Amino acid sequence: MTPAASSRDIILGRIRNAAAADSAPAPDHSAAYIRRGQLHRPACLDLMIERLREYNADVVECGPAEIVSSIEEVLRLSGRHTIVAPPGLPGAWRVPGFTWRIDDSLTYSDIETSDAVVTASFAGVADSGTIVLHHSSAEGRRVLTLLPDWHLCILRASQVVETLPEYFDRCLQPPALATYISGPSATADIEMTRIKGVHGPRFLHVLLVHDEDSSQPQDYRKGDHP
Amino acid sequence: MSAEHHSVVLDPRIAPPFPAAALPILRNSQLRKNVAHATDVIQAKRARLVAEKTDWQELRSAAAAIKNETLAHLDHYLAEFEANCTAAGGHVHWAADAAEARQIILQILRAENATEVIKIKTMTSAEIELNPALEAAGIHAVETDLAELILQLGDDQPSHIVAPALHVNRSQVREIFARRMGRTDLSDDPEALTAAARSYLRKKFLSVDAAISGANFLVAETGAVTIVESEGNGRMCLTLPRTLIALAGIEKVIPRFRDLEVFLQVLARSATGERMNPYSSLWTGVTPGDGPQNFHVVLLDNGRSPILARPVERQTLRCIRCAACQNTCPVYRQTGGHAYGSVYGGPIGAILTPQLMRMEHAQSLPYASSLCAACYEVCPVKINIPEVLIDLRAQVIDQERSKTDRAFDLMYVAMRVANGIFASAARFRLAQRLGRIALWPFTRKDGWIHALPSLGARWTMTRDLRGIPRESFRAWWAARPKVESRSGEKS
Repeated sequence: MTPAASSRDIILGRIRNAAAADSAPAPDHSAAYIRRGQLHRPACLDLMIERLREYNADVVECGPAEIVSSIEEVLRLSGRHTIVAPPGLPGAWRVPGFTWRIDDSLTYSDIETSDAVVTASFAGVADSGTIVLHHSSAEGRRVLTLLPDWHLCILRASQVVETLPEYFDRCLQPPALATYISGPSATADIEMTRIKGVHGPRFLHVLLVHDEDSSQPQDYRKGDHP
Repeated sequence: MSAEHHSVVLDPRIAPPFPAAALPILRNSQLRKNVAHATDVIQAKRARLVAEKTDWQELRSAAAAIKNETLAHLDHYLAEFEANCTAAGGHVHWAADAAEARQIILQILRAENATEVIKIKTMTSAEIELNPALEAAGIHAVETDLAELILQLGDDQPSHIVAPALHVNRSQVREIFARRMGRTDLSDDPEALTAAARSYLRKKFLSVDAAISGANFLVAETGAVTIVESEGNGRMCLTLPRTLIALAGIEKVIPRFRDLEVFLQVLARSATGERMNPYSSLWTGVTPGDGPQNFHVVLLDNGRSPILARPVERQTLRCIRCAACQNTCPVYRQTGGHAYGSVYGGPIGAILTPQLMRMEHAQSLPYASSLCAACYEVCPVKINIPEVLIDLRAQVIDQERSKTDRAFDLMYVAMRVANGIFASAARFRLAQRLGRIALWPFTRKDGWIHALPSLGARWTMTRDLRGIPRESFRAWWAARPKVESRSGEKS
């Protein structure tokens, strides 16, 4: 028996002895907290945008037919040229006019020296302005959204939920990998002064695609951006 | 010059008692100003974000219930986590104490021929005093959390669970970076200081092949591990190196992936006053082509399992290390964390540290509280800290009572005498009369006693005492004029 195996037995034995002394009834585990959102869809998407902007993420909205032209415009305005793409990113999203590095097996150095990365996403949580990545082939392995300083994330309105429990409803299987992004990297370690951009990407851009009939992207945008 | 003017000992086995450790800190006005400012800022942010959550109390109850369920079946959930993490390609180790945890980690790093290791902030690593052990083995540990880096370069110790360098201000950080990074060009602007840390650490992230992390949650159902953070240094350490070691207390396991929907809602709000921390990472064993391919989890007991056996104390293990109790505590806010002589300071440290020490050390900590219960009110997992403090005080008294030299202890003898007096009404009346006579020379005209000699001075050095009144309530009651009851009042 290895020392580690015996420690396992010792620890589990101690826990079982302690638990045997416990005759408390099983705790009430009924969850009374809010699971379903209360907002109408346009208000929910408004909240998502408001939260993203609160932590300085840049949000651009478009209809489903304008994804490619919107990506091109955002990239052009960014002034960035060498752009990393996960292997599963739709080919049309790799708009011409830029140097695309498709991640078949890019080295850290390839990724580190790129100007930007463009990815899809798994979900958005409006309540906290959180972007969820499950690192599918269109979202890319974790390092892709970590080393480049500038990240454009494509989020569909139909992926946005209001509350965190509603995101868990959408996970039919628990993910093996997940990253929850709620604002660009930040620290408040020096006198509680919030500083943006420590190690992760300093610039987060979100392209919100209004792919739901109810959200009426054109009318909706009129109200939001005069 | 160090950021500290007092010597800091965070080993409960050798640290001075709380009152002695607190005294020099209370004279350090700069440190007290830094701590007050930081805790004020976090508290205000937390209060605002908790107020907007209409189901906050329900979330607290759910979080406490999930942890209770976990602790009631901890053996089952740990074994389930081990099986699922192993099936996903991870290696799970069990460490009964700090020495064994250090040894396991050193073995893994030696097998990798590591000479350097990057670290995410982990209180558990400080608890087992890992860094000195790594240095002694010729492995240089690089702290990558900004606050931890400030402490490491400043030869200082953590004073807070979430913001371990909150006792250090910007000009002190500037001085440390100038001295240890050679960056004499820096101003004391936090933005410039943060940028200096970014460039200092960037090459470490890309070149060091092994990392050590803690864990916020271990998911039994899937074998996944979760880390929440703000800076992105965590994601760097979890993603870039070849080898990753996660050191986690056995109480960090939760039953299901779905349970995160509760904890992720309460943790950041309580810890930093954010709706969600900027980055949370979840990974499961090893994923081919993504992240470390050599992944280890070290499950640490180190005094935790005996806590399970005591029904009142068990709730201590619900703690998710948010530090809300520290920020709100009127004692911590005066002394900061170093006075507690442990990496776990504040109210949670006052109950956790003596228990991790099996009540053999840190017995002064259960008294480092006014029992005002502000900590209980903010705790996201509803740990009734005052209740545990009182029970631990009783344990400390029981220990003292069993000492053989107690007959010579003035306090013990005084308490025995008081016990006899309170047990009999006649003795109590007599004692009142004698007490009034004995205290009369010390009682001022206003009825207050401002100074007492000997043992009594322990009370009067910090507060006044009411003199014993000339007439007791019982005497007044017995002597009062009798009022005849009117017949109409009878029913």
